[in-house]
Amino acid sequence: MNRSLTLPALLPLAFLLLMVAAPLARLLQEGHAGFSLALLQDSYIQWRLAWSVGQALATCALALLIGLPLAWVLARFDFAGRRLLLRMLMLPFVMPTLVAGMGVLALFGPHGVAGVNLQDTPWLLLYGNLFYNLPLLVRAGVDGLEQVPASRLAVARTLGAPPWRTFWRVEWPVVRPWLASALCLIFLYCFAGFGLALLLGGQRYATVEVEIYTLVAYELNLADAGVLALLALGVGAAVALAYAALERGLARPQRLAPTLRTPAQGWPQRLLLASALTVLALCCLLPLLAIVWRALQADATVWAMLAEPEVLAALGNTLRFSGAALGLSLLLGLCHGWAAQRWLALRALVFLPFMVSPVCLAFGLLLLYPQYSASVGLLIAAYALLAYPFVAKGVLSAAAALPPQLPQAARTLGATPWRSFCRVSLPLMRPALRRGLAFAAATAVGEFAVSLFLSRPEWATLTTLIYQHLGRPGAANLQLALLLSCLLMLFALLAFVVIEWPEKNHARAD
Amino acid sequence: MLKKSVLLLALAGLSLSALAAELRVMTHSSFSLPKDRIAEFEKQNGVKLSIVKGGDAGEMLNKLILTRANPIADVVYGIDNTLIAKASAAGILAPTSSKLGRTEKDAQLPGAVAVDYGYVTLNYDKTWFAKAELPLPATLDDLAKPAYKDLLVVQNPATSSTGLAFLLATIADRGEDGAFKWWEKVRDNGLKVSKGWSEAYYTDFSRNGGSRPIVVSYATSPAAEVFYSKEKISESPTANLLLKGGVFLQVEGVALLTGGKEPQAAQAFVDFLRSEGVQTGLQTKMWMYPAVAGTAIDPVFAHAQKPAKFSNPSLAAMNSKTAAWVSRWNRLVVKQAN
Repeated sequence: MNRSLTLPALLPLAFLLLMVAAPLARLLQEGHAGFSLALLQDSYIQWRLAWSVGQALATCALALLIGLPLAWVLARFDFAGRRLLLRMLMLPFVMPTLVAGMGVLALFGPHGVAGVNLQDTPWLLLYGNLFYNLPLLVRAGVDGLEQVPASRLAVARTLGAPPWRTFWRVEWPVVRPWLASALCLIFLYCFAGFGLALLLGGQRYATVEVEIYTLVAYELNLADAGVLALLALGVGAAVALAYAALERGLARPQRLAPTLRTPAQGWPQRLLLASALTVLALCCLLPLLAIVWRALQADATVWAMLAEPEVLAALGNTLRFSGAALGLSLLLGLCHGWAAQRWLALRALVFLPFMVSPVCLAFGLLLLYPQYSASVGLLIAAYALLAYPFVAKGVLSAAAALPPQLPQAARTLGATPWRSFCRVSLPLMRPALRRGLAFAAATAVGEFAVSLFLSRPEWATLTTLIYQHLGRPGAANLQLALLLSCLLMLFALLAFVVIEWPEKNHARAD
Repeated sequence: MLKKSVLLLALAGLSLSALAAELRVMTHSSFSLPKDRIAEFEKQNGVKLSIVKGGDAGEMLNKLILTRANPIADVVYGIDNTLIAKASAAGILAPTSSKLGRTEKDAQLPGAVAVDYGYVTLNYDKTWFAKAELPLPATLDDLAKPAYKDLLVVQNPATSSTGLAFLLATIADRGEDGAFKWWEKVRDNGLKVSKGWSEAYYTDFSRNGGSRPIVVSYATSPAAEVFYSKEKISESPTANLLLKGGVFLQVEGVALLTGGKEPQAAQAFVDFLRSEGVQTGLQTKMWMYPAVAGTAIDPVFAHAQKPAKFSNPSLAAMNSKTAAWVSRWNRLVVKQAN
């Protein structure tokens, strides 16, 4: 049993060593001569650090407060278009920050549809954080709540437990580990936040990651950057370890008769469903709709530009790079997730790629592997690095919920561990694996932080092309960028639908 | 038999050397040239151009400095006058010259060969000012007055080269302390700071749905607005606001890298960037003026103006003080702006 966990661990560990630990160490070595903790006495830096932690915690709390009821409604009620809605919830992940910002401002900006200008207020900052992070929590919550055994709910109801007690005693214990991992991820994303929140709330809300970026990319002050990066890594590691301990303590194998969804009946339930859908649309989908609406107004000449070779090449690159990254992510995620069942540290390491300052990573890789710095291999590895944690996370949650009797029975009947894994455990984990892959695809297509790496003109993806056009003045550039964003969404949605295509024998699972 | 294998070996050697002739060019992310020109260069010189984009100019330079022991490129394009002294001091540039053409008076770049130049300055939204019936500000100090409250958006110099250029212009004009006094005043008058040019232009500038009718951009941006308009318009919706102390001259150049390979091809590339085809072609691709004197200017540039005056600190001062200036600026403008 132990050997069957050790072997698969080697691959992701080697990958993390080569892609994260070694480059970071190399960068720290470059700057270590100037290390000084005096930096941390600087009230400006202290303020940035405190703010980074504070706003990340606030977003976590808000996402939980809003997201959990939404997840409950989505997990319990059936309605037309539910599956598509769950896929669409991943679209915010794909949007380039600047375009998402334009979508939000089209609603709540100076000339927004809503009629109130919230630009540069903390409200829009929180909204920006929710736009990206609420979907993470909602999907995790839905996944978790779907695992609640139907029989236990039925027993609770038969015994006359009111709904809140049923939730507290039966559903909450099951969904907790799922929420824990989503909250950990949300914290890490917000803590290192660089994008939308800043764009909407203003530069004064910059996180410590912005400071690190400036120190590395502009000032080449690797000493101070190193100190800050280590500190940020420490915070991230503490959060990830807390999550890992929590999740391990909470995870329980569930029986295989998950709760069925029913259509909303009666007006209280219908009202509940309608209000949940409204909140969800308001937080996550309206800005995307605003982008589509603005893009559709493009002139015929701009539409015609969609057929230009550079657009087709970019579409091809997006497909190639995200496809290759997904393949690698599947392999790494399966190995890491499966092996991490036993080891707490390995479980926390799933989130390592999100704990390390991206700009430090990019510069460290450049220092360590200058000869490969502009190679496709390194590019794909970078994509996979930021995508595979989602697969690993999916495997980990699914593995924890596996009833141990089934693989044990397979082993008793003479199956090798490998055969038992392939024929029993893997098929049972497939729905979770697909969900993880869909998120991984969203990350790969969305290209978090990949812009920090060296690139070649012939590698231009849809996201790169969008930013290229938004780097020049002129209405045609803006319109084409918006149209390309719609194309990106369409492509991503198609990918999500294909990846999470419901299987016949798992018709109930999404 | 022996003859045959010798021939085969020779052929293999030939094809290998043909494969090996690769010129690695590092550029910033805004680099763009007509594709046919690049193909032409490759054909004429028998090399394969391998273009690598290293982020914006400041980020790119730091990547080159970090990897100087194992150079990742043979030649670099896009180092400008704000960075050239830093690049020279780091010892990453090899002496570079070009016999092609005479360089414009403004476009001097010691330490590299100038390719193009342009001006960072304020742009304003014509429609907004016409509707508001507000006279244009006549000096930078006007921007600190109540009438012009909440009208200006600039980029953070810590993350944007246009933001940095504008900060440098104010310092060159007013001296460090005078400039920071002005920044404090405009901060209190509702200055908006955004991360980069794209964010400022596409989310804050009133022309594109924002609330700020004055933005830090390039003097050629009004021409680009005409060039990239949907229906061909004859007048730009934006114009330059050329105020004293608010114009920075930017000169971009090309240089060989120390320890780079293919010196011959690298020199050919330097000359190529100074050739007439590139000098005319780059204008509507990168929206800069050609550095070689006498190059024909694209007619669309009639919608832009060349500022008569600009204010730049000395190259040495930009090398030694920029980091401190940017840090001071952020502490003053961003943190206190609550």
